[in-house]
Amino acid sequence: MAKADGHILRVQGLKTYFPIRRGVFSRIRGWVRAVDGVDLDIPRGQTVGLVGESGCGKTTLGRTLLRLIPATAGTAWFEDELIFSANRRRMRQLRRQMQIIFQDPVGSLNPRMTVQTIVGEPLKVHGLAHGRALRQRVVNLLEQVGLSPGYLNRYPHEFSGGQRQRIGIARALALEPKFIICDEPVSALDVSIQSQILNLLADLQDALGLSYLFIAHNLAVVEHFCGEVAVMYLGQIVERAGSEDLYRNPVHPYTKTLLSAVPIPDPRTKTACQAPVGDVSDTSGPFTGCPFHPRCSLAQDQCRQECPQLREIGPGHFVACWRTE
Amino acid sequence: MVSYIIRRLLYAIPTILGVLLITFILFNLIPGDPSYDIAGKSASAETIAEIRRELGFDKPRFLDTEALSQGRIAAAFDSQFFNHFRNTLTLNFPRSLTSHEPIWDEIKSRAPASLTLAAPMFIGLIATSIAIALVVAFARGSWVDTILVFICVVGMSIPMLSYILFGQHYLAYELGWFPILGYESGMQAFKYIALPCLLGIASGLGSYVRFYRTVMLDEMRSDYVRTAFAKGLSSPRVLFKHVLKNAMIPIITTLVLSIPFLFLGSLLLERFFSIPGMGSYFLDAFNSRDFPVINAMVFTTSLLYVLGQLVTDICYALVDPRISLR
Amino acid sequence: MTEAALTSDIAVGKGRSLWADAWRRLLSRKLVVASLIVIAVFVMVALGVYAGLIARDWSEPVGPRYQRPSLEHGFGTDFLGRSVWRKTLYGAKISLTVAFLASLISICIGLPLGAIAGYFKGWIDELIVWLFTTVNSIPYIILILAFAFVLQGKTLFGYPLRGISVVYLVIGLTSWVGLCRLIRGEVLKHRDRDYVMAARAYGCSRSRIILGHVIPNVAHLVIINFSLRFVSFIHAEVILSFLGLGVKGEPSWGVMIDDARQELYRGCWWQLAAATLAIGLLCLALNIVGDALRDALDPKLRQGLE
Repeated sequence: MAKADGHILRVQGLKTYFPIRRGVFSRIRGWVRAVDGVDLDIPRGQTVGLVGESGCGKTTLGRTLLRLIPATAGTAWFEDELIFSANRRRMRQLRRQMQIIFQDPVGSLNPRMTVQTIVGEPLKVHGLAHGRALRQRVVNLLEQVGLSPGYLNRYPHEFSGGQRQRIGIARALALEPKFIICDEPVSALDVSIQSQILNLLADLQDALGLSYLFIAHNLAVVEHFCGEVAVMYLGQIVERAGSEDLYRNPVHPYTKTLLSAVPIPDPRTKTACQAPVGDVSDTSGPFTGCPFHPRCSLAQDQCRQECPQLREIGPGHFVACWRTE
Repeated sequence: MVSYIIRRLLYAIPTILGVLLITFILFNLIPGDPSYDIAGKSASAETIAEIRRELGFDKPRFLDTEALSQGRIAAAFDSQFFNHFRNTLTLNFPRSLTSHEPIWDEIKSRAPASLTLAAPMFIGLIATSIAIALVVAFARGSWVDTILVFICVVGMSIPMLSYILFGQHYLAYELGWFPILGYESGMQAFKYIALPCLLGIASGLGSYVRFYRTVMLDEMRSDYVRTAFAKGLSSPRVLFKHVLKNAMIPIITTLVLSIPFLFLGSLLLERFFSIPGMGSYFLDAFNSRDFPVINAMVFTTSLLYVLGQLVTDICYALVDPRISLR
Repeated sequence: MTEAALTSDIAVGKGRSLWADAWRRLLSRKLVVASLIVIAVFVMVALGVYAGLIARDWSEPVGPRYQRPSLEHGFGTDFLGRSVWRKTLYGAKISLTVAFLASLISICIGLPLGAIAGYFKGWIDELIVWLFTTVNSIPYIILILAFAFVLQGKTLFGYPLRGISVVYLVIGLTSWVGLCRLIRGEVLKHRDRDYVMAARAYGCSRSRIILGHVIPNVAHLVIINFSLRFVSFIHAEVILSFLGLGVKGEPSWGVMIDDARQELYRGCWWQLAAATLAIGLLCLALNIVGDALRDALDPKLRQGLE
C-alpha cells in the first residue's frame, strides 16, 4: 500500500525513541519508546481523536508528524507526499498545509510579540503578504476566530486563557492549512470556555474543510467532537473505533478503565470505577508482551510474552488484546 | 554515585588543559620573545641568548618539524608549547627572573603569610555577614531592613582602595591604634594583620550581607518555612532551625570558591600593608615584568579554584541524592 | 466571568508590552528616579568632557599646591596645584567610557555564544561550556591583571593598545562568562517552549527563531546583568589604573586615588575623598537602578512578590 490512499494523512509503523544516557561517558544505555509502532489514518475533512493518559506518547506522536521531533522509524504520507523524507524546500511547502495548536495558551505565544506579529509571522516567513495586505489578513483571521481587530497591538499577557487559545488558532489558520494537530487545545481551559473553543474548531472545520488530529487525555471531550477515536497506551494504539461504537462497546480493558473514569451527569447511575492496578510501567528496559499487562486484571501468560497486534473485530473497530477472542 | 564522582573528576581535566592553553597564549604567543624586554636595551647578545635558553624561547614554538622528519619523536615534542604544558602541569616552574629563586619554593614560603591574613578575614567576613543577614531577614520589610540594605549598597559602592587608604591613614597613622605596615611570623602576626583584616571585612561586608539576605529571603518564602510559622514555631527557631540550615549550601559554595583568594590573600591589602604573601609576590612580578612568576600564579590559583569546585560538587552529591541521578 | 465580560474589560487600543510595564514600575519609585537622574548627570558630564565643554584645562594649575577645599578652590588642589574638581569631572568620562565599551565587548561575546550554545546543544554547546568554564576557573582579578599586563603596549590590527583602550578591552574580554552562562541557561529553557515549537512548525528558519523569538525573550537579562556589572567594571578600572596597568596621562578616578596616596601623609585628604565620593555616588545609583531593573524585568521574581 503506498501513498495516503485518499486520506489526508496516513501513518505506518511510526516509532519515536529517545536515548537514555548514563554512566561515565554518557553512553546510550537504553531507549524511551515514546511512540512504538503506530498506524493511523486520518480521513479528509474529519476528526480523529487520540486519547491516552499523560506520558503515553500522544504529544510526541503529534510533534513527530510535524517533524518537530525526529522520527526513529516508520513512514507518514501527507496526501501523496512522504513527510519524513521531504527535503528542506518540500518541507517548507508541507508546513503550510499542516499546523498545530498547543495545549498551553501561555507558553505557546511569544510574550514579547503583539498579536499582529504573532498571527502575521507565518505569512511573513513564507512571503505571502506584506504591509497593508498582511495587516488586513491578520484582521480577517482574528475575526474568523472571534476576536476583535482592535486587539492587534496587544500582548499575550493581556488576554484570558480562552482568548489566547483563539490567537493560537488564528496563527495556525494563517497559512490556510488542510490539516491541524490539536494538541489538547482545551485541557488548560475552564470548562465553560472549553465548549466555546470546541465549537469554534467545529465551525472552522465546516467552513474550511479542515481535518483534525485531536489529542486529549480525557474521553469526555472527544466523544462528540471526533468521528473516530484511537486509544493510546505506552506508545501503542490499543483500540480504534468509530466514536459511538467505542463509547457504547469498549473492548480493550484499558479503554474500559478510561471510560469508567468519565463522570456521568446522573446521580442515580452507579458506575463501578475500574481504577487500573499499579502504575504506568517503565518503557525503557527490555519489555515483552502487551504494554498493559502489568496493570491488567485479565492478564494471562500469553499477554506477558507476546505483544498483541491490532485486529478488526467489527466493522471499523480495531483492538489489540489477546483476551478479546 | 561513584560514576558521578569519576565523571566530575574527568570534567576537570579539560578545564585544566584549557587554563594551560590560555596561559600559553597569554605568556608565550602574545608577547612573543620577551628576552629583549627583560634584558634591557643595552644587553649583550650573550645575555639575551642566556635568557632565551633559560625561558626555553630558543626552542620551536609548537613542533620541531626537523626532528620529526628525522624520526626523533621525543625530540620533536621538545617545543615551547609542549614544554609549557609539561612543566606547568607538574608544577615544575622555572626560576624567577628577578630573584632567581625557584618559583615553587617562593610560593611555599609565602603561602603562610597569605593564609594568616586571609583565613581570619574570610571567617570573620562570613560570620559577620551571616549574623547581620539573619537580623535583616528577621526584620524583613521593616525600616531596619530598608536602612541596613541601603547601608550595604553604599558599602559595596565604595571602592576597596578607599577603605584601605582611609583606614591605614586614620586608624594607623593618625590614631596609632595599629602598626602602619609590616609583618612578623608567629604570634606577633596578629598585631599586624588586625587592621588589614578589619578593612577587608568592612569592604566586603556590603555585598556578602546582601547576598546572604537574598538567599535567606528565598528560603523564607518557601512553603516549608510558611508551614513552620503556621504551626506556631517562634521566629528565631524557624530562622535557625530551618532557614539557616537550608541556606548552608550557598554559604558553603561561597566559602569553597574563595579558596584561591585565601591562598592569594587580598592582593591590595598585602601590597599596602607590606605583608610578604602571595598577593604582593604577584603584584611585584608585574612591576618587574617577571613572566614566569605571573604564569605560575595564574596556574596555581586556577588549579586551586578547580579543586575547590570539585570538592563542593562532590560534597553536594554526597548530601543531595538527586544530583547523582543526572 | 465569561469571556465576553473579560473582553470588555480590555479597552480596544494600544497594548502594553512587558518593557513598557517594567518602565512604568521603575518610574513609580522615587529612589530609582533619583538614581536615574544621578546617572544621567554623570553621563552628561562625560559627554561634556568629550565635547570639550567641561574640564578641558584640567592639567592647568589653578592655584598653589595642596589647597584645602574652599569656595575659591572648590574641591581643593593637588600636588601640582591642579583643580581636584576638574579632575573628578574628567574622571567621569574615563569611568563611563570604560564601563560602556567593556559592556559592549562582553555583550558581543557573551550573548551570541550563550544563545548558540543553548539553542544548538550538542558538541558546539560543549565547546562553549568548556571555554567559559576554563575562563571562569581563573580568578577574575588575576585574569584581568594578567591580561592587562600582557596586552599593555601591544598592537591590535595595527592599533596600539595603551591607556584606556587596554582597560576596556581587558575588562570586556574577561567578563563575558557570567552573561554567557546566564543566556545559555535561559535559551535552553526557551528553545523547548511551545512558542518556539510553533515557529518551527510554520517553517521559521533557525536564525529567525534565535534572533526574532529567543533573543527578545532573554534580552532583559542582558540589561539586568549589565546594570549590576557596570559597578564592577568601574571598580576594576580604578584598580587597574591604580596599579599602573591602566589609564596613564589622564586623570581617571583610579589615577586620582594613586596620586592621593602620596598626599595623604601631608594631610591632604580631599583628592581621595573626591574620587571616593564620585565612584561611590555613581555606583550607588547604578546599584539601585540595577536592583530595581531586576525587580521590574524579571517576571519570576515579580510573581514571588505579588
